[in-house]
Amino acid sequence: MPELRRDPVVGRWVIIDTEHTKGPSDFPKSDNTPTRQAICPFCPGREYQTPNEVGAVRPSHSLANTPGWLVRTVPNKFPVLSCGGFLQKEGYGVYDQMTGIGAHEVLIENPDHDKALVDLTKDEMQAVISQYQERFRQLSRDSRFKYIMIFKNFGSSAGATVEHTHSQIIALPMVPKTVLEELKGAEYYYQQHGRCVFCDMISQEYQDKERIVMENNSFLAFCPYAPRYAFETWIIPKGHSPDFAERDGAISAHLAQILQDVLIKVKKVLADPSYNYYLHTVPLGQANGAHYHWHIEIIPKLTRSVGFEWGTGLHIVPTFPQEAARFLRES
Amino acid sequence: MSELRKDPIVGRWTIVATERARRPAAFVEPQPTVTAPKNCPYCQDHAFEEVAAIDGVRVIKSGSPILDDTKVFERQDHGMYEVAHSYGSHEIVIETPEHIANMADLSEDEIKVVFQTYALRIQHHRKNPCIEYVLAYKNYGLAAGSRNIGHSRSQIMAVPVLPMRVNDKVRGAKEYFDCHERCLFCDMISQELKKKERLIVENEDFVAIAPFASRFPFETMVLPKTHHCDFADGLKDREGSLAAIMKEILLRFKIGLNDPAYNYMIQTSPVKKSSSFKDNYHWHIEVMPRLTRVAGFERGTGFYICPIPPEMTADFLKEVDIHAGT
Repeated sequence: MPELRRDPVVGRWVIIDTEHTKGPSDFPKSDNTPTRQAICPFCPGREYQTPNEVGAVRPSHSLANTPGWLVRTVPNKFPVLSCGGFLQKEGYGVYDQMTGIGAHEVLIENPDHDKALVDLTKDEMQAVISQYQERFRQLSRDSRFKYIMIFKNFGSSAGATVEHTHSQIIALPMVPKTVLEELKGAEYYYQQHGRCVFCDMISQEYQDKERIVMENNSFLAFCPYAPRYAFETWIIPKGHSPDFAERDGAISAHLAQILQDVLIKVKKVLADPSYNYYLHTVPLGQANGAHYHWHIEIIPKLTRSVGFEWGTGLHIVPTFPQEAARFLRES
Repeated sequence: MSELRKDPIVGRWTIVATERARRPAAFVEPQPTVTAPKNCPYCQDHAFEEVAAIDGVRVIKSGSPILDDTKVFERQDHGMYEVAHSYGSHEIVIETPEHIANMADLSEDEIKVVFQTYALRIQHHRKNPCIEYVLAYKNYGLAAGSRNIGHSRSQIMAVPVLPMRVNDKVRGAKEYFDCHERCLFCDMISQELKKKERLIVENEDFVAIAPFASRFPFETMVLPKTHHCDFADGLKDREGSLAAIMKEILLRFKIGLNDPAYNYMIQTSPVKKSSSFKDNYHWHIEVMPRLTRVAGFERGTGFYICPIPPEMTADFLKEVDIHAGT
């Protein structure tokens, strides 16, 4: 029997399509062969082909924009938002607009062109996470920005256009809608119950157990009860924590480990699919985050959304989250 | 300098990337081959359970429905979560007895009957007290989520909950009305007709525009000029002019964008408490060619990056020669 399930944070209903339930092998094979670039601008030795770096993990004796780095962050050559200038808001009849102020950076996760995130060593993966934190802290000092989004597109059907492993960071002059919905939902829940909705979700996930993918000392990975996509998986700190930027060293090692392990499982179970992940955290300057809880959402790109989903926001998910979790857990 | 634009209805911001604007030709992707008529399930007469038939348009129950109205609708809690069985109804509208793939190639008369059929089915489903929303929509082409059977059809879903995007829209429209005592959509129409920069085409009853804060390249919105919150009731006596403008838009897509995959969705008011939407909501159709892929940033933020300014979309679509080759 198909089910309608409601996301407790934003109140979004989803349809779990039990009549055509899909296991990992039922999704069409991904087309993960982005054209290999003969001259990859992200490879060491071609630092001059990118804009000057704004951050890097590199030995103290090595110079900026030269080889020797482990992780390197550069402004996007084709930014969707630009950094210079002031934020100007304007009305235009019934419409609102503002100048496209923001930052758009590319975080090159490793010098090796042939490695994907799942192939990195423990130390290399930790360097990626510490660079996420470093760039997040740097960008959050700019008072024009309200929100910083760290995300990754892997594989061409998830929107990646460059093969060399990388993530992206976009700093925005407003809080984006999906985040606002989460914040609003979480705040409402907090008013009703006096507790963080995400903390309550974690404790229920421990009770039910069936949607848990894995855990370590600091983090839990689980498939949400009312997912939007098949095999959607969240990574969330076990203890209440609104702000990603506040993480200390030990915890970032745990994050590196669980994120990589989940991605390895996704790769194994779903035959190396395209995927996206993104990090949701409390907006900048909102110190009082009693009701919010940062987390990462990982979404393998397995299906295409149809008109019905576009028109309603009611997603149709062909895999039960407990099934997805079982496949991922047992891999 | 790229721009951030806010959709006045749901409050969703879009980045209009003027600097990386891609030429329309950069989006064109060929469609794969389609099923031959002899293997087409929609060319057979008796393959499905028919629920209605009007002038060559047939409505059948979906052969693989994801909604089911044979059980009683019940909402339950599961700890902090909420669940219900997937109650509702899922129907396929077979738009023509002929094996024609794209609605753009149907006659205006045939398209008119399709929209009349939607109206009748919506009126039918909303009599069911469990139903909160009825969506009539179309997926055309693989990238739009359709199987490439090559037989023009659309779908109707009646669901027992108010979907989130619908809720966003009606809420946004209501807030605007409470503030201005005017319909937001009517204000948009009058601004678009005055400025004309995003106007694609109009006729006596309808206007087609590229929305100010478009999410996708070539996104198009078709609105009735006369205020009405409800599609099924508001369509009366305007079926012909809706068919004309929809055919024209779909032809402009087909010729100008090399037969792209597309979706359209009829955005009507919710079924229940209809009197509370009467003045502030205005039914319309969203038409979206599927040319780009949604990436992590869009998914994570609900914030879209549109690589073509809607003014360019409007100019481009306006200039397509729909009589070429005929």
